[in-house]
Amino acid sequence: MADFDRDDEQGVPRPATGGAAASILALDNIRLELPVANIGSRCLAGVIDGCAVAVLLALWVLFCSVLALWVSGTWAVAAGVAGIFLVEWGYFAGMEIATGGRTLGKMALRLRAVTAAGSEAGAGALLVRNLVRDVDYLAGVPLMAIDPLARRLGDRLAGTLVVHEARAPAVLLGRVPPGWGAREVATVESFLLRAGELRDAAARDELARRLLSRVERDAPELLAGLGRPAVEGPVGMLRLALAAEER
Amino acid sequence: MDYARFLRLRRPLWEDFARRLAALQDAGARRGRRSAATSYGEVEELAFAYRQVLHDHALAATRFPGTGAARRLAALALAGTHRLTRRSAPWRGLRHFVFHAFPAAFQRQLGLLALAAAVFGGSFLLGLVLSAVQPGLGNLLLGPRAIAGLEEGRLWTESLTTTVPPAVASSGIATNNLSVALAAWSGGVLAGVVPLYMLVLNGLMLGGVIGISLRYSMAGELLSFVAAHGPLELTLVVVAAAAGLGLGRALVEAGDVPRGEAMRQAGHDSLLVVLGCLPWFVVLAAVEARISPDPSLPVAFKAALGLGLVLLFFGAALAPHRAGDDADAASS
Repeated sequence: MADFDRDDEQGVPRPATGGAAASILALDNIRLELPVANIGSRCLAGVIDGCAVAVLLALWVLFCSVLALWVSGTWAVAAGVAGIFLVEWGYFAGMEIATGGRTLGKMALRLRAVTAAGSEAGAGALLVRNLVRDVDYLAGVPLMAIDPLARRLGDRLAGTLVVHEARAPAVLLGRVPPGWGAREVATVESFLLRAGELRDAAARDELARRLLSRVERDAPELLAGLGRPAVEGPVGMLRLALAAEER
Repeated sequence: MDYARFLRLRRPLWEDFARRLAALQDAGARRGRRSAATSYGEVEELAFAYRQVLHDHALAATRFPGTGAARRLAALALAGTHRLTRRSAPWRGLRHFVFHAFPAAFQRQLGLLALAAAVFGGSFLLGLVLSAVQPGLGNLLLGPRAIAGLEEGRLWTESLTTTVPPAVASSGIATNNLSVALAAWSGGVLAGVVPLYMLVLNGLMLGGVIGISLRYSMAGELLSFVAAHGPLELTLVVVAAAAGLGLGRALVEAGDVPRGEAMRQAGHDSLLVVLGCLPWFVVLAAVEARISPDPSLPVAFKAALGLGLVLLFFGAALAPHRAGDDADAASS
């Protein structure tokens, strides 16, 4: 069996989310890990949403000022008061209901509010989690900090979680040398996925050559007939040899 | 099964599932969420493919952990779970909410409503007594200018209603009352302390203000001002606070279910009650800004209107509803 000289699982790619994970049991009791967003992502999304609310309020006040100049001062003030109330109380709940659990801040950070079972949260749950924001402005951050699932009070009340949206750009190997296990496959896939981002071309090519040598040792027939290493480069040769495809 | 063979055999199914899921999402975005109902056959095929993806995910997570296939399947399984499963009951329309969901939730909270009314009534009486034995309370509650006005036979409400146009007053009153009701409800998560505080404060203030008006022989004028909007306004504040107390009770006395689950159930039930109250606050604001301050309208008319609004509210809240609507409480 091929061995990449690692006796632990450090070579196995980890989820890119960086947050805690909650396990749920899906259909047929199959375990799924929810990539829960941690306090940092949540607070950053909150800051973006705060800016969005401020911009909306400024635009509304501007609109009402124009209304006061051109139509009626009385109605402009009345509309201004009502609009400010609606933005303050309705922005978060309205956005999440309209977009299936996302606000502008969550969209920017690719987060989504879902039920604790990973399914789409209903309008009732989204309303509940957002109408207690006043209390969460006081208690929300400490609660998120001590909770492994980073739930604030509104989440506990509504039975919701905020998760990173599933995105899995992955390289899949169409050919695998005999004897390679999951660790070897994962290492090569991970390298090929990141090869385009590696700035040090010499180090990248050197690593690709080492991987190619392992392929040659374990399955020389995969390299037969590929030719043109000067044209493809070592990374390209590795892709061709293992029929790697990015999805 | 080796990795390459696993991919070769199963990957077309994953791609097909991803394509169907994306199509469902696009159709949902175009035609409104969840209304993107495809045919029964398509739904069945999608559910079958979801099950296959879940099983492939379980296999890949065990046999090929950390590989691209395992990550892709985990993402697909999560996306499928998010899109195809749902625990909460869908929105069943405004008519169902008004005639069934709201009355059902309201009637489940009658005990808490009685408790909130008792706290409010007790605080009101206390305020009344305090204003009688403590003449200095007037300055504290209303300020020296309002007291000077009372001595001259003028209510402090006159300046509020004559200097602010009715449209602005309506808007301000409605948003203020809505904020108070929502704060009373949401503050319930702090073990019911905030709604209790609001009930006691409002009861004390109302009792104190009426007591002071009695002292200056202005109670008739004050009651004339509040006759049209007061009864419903107080009712709605007490109902919202009772809903908040429901949240607090779930936290303090969860019973034989986990505290989080008890709060989730109480949150859904009490939210229905508060949402049912919100439109009444808008009606109330119009009455308070336009009818209450109008001196040309007879007091009897205002009192009849106030009583009528309260009866209408309780008529809607206590209306018979379908027995099956109790299930609404558990499905959020």
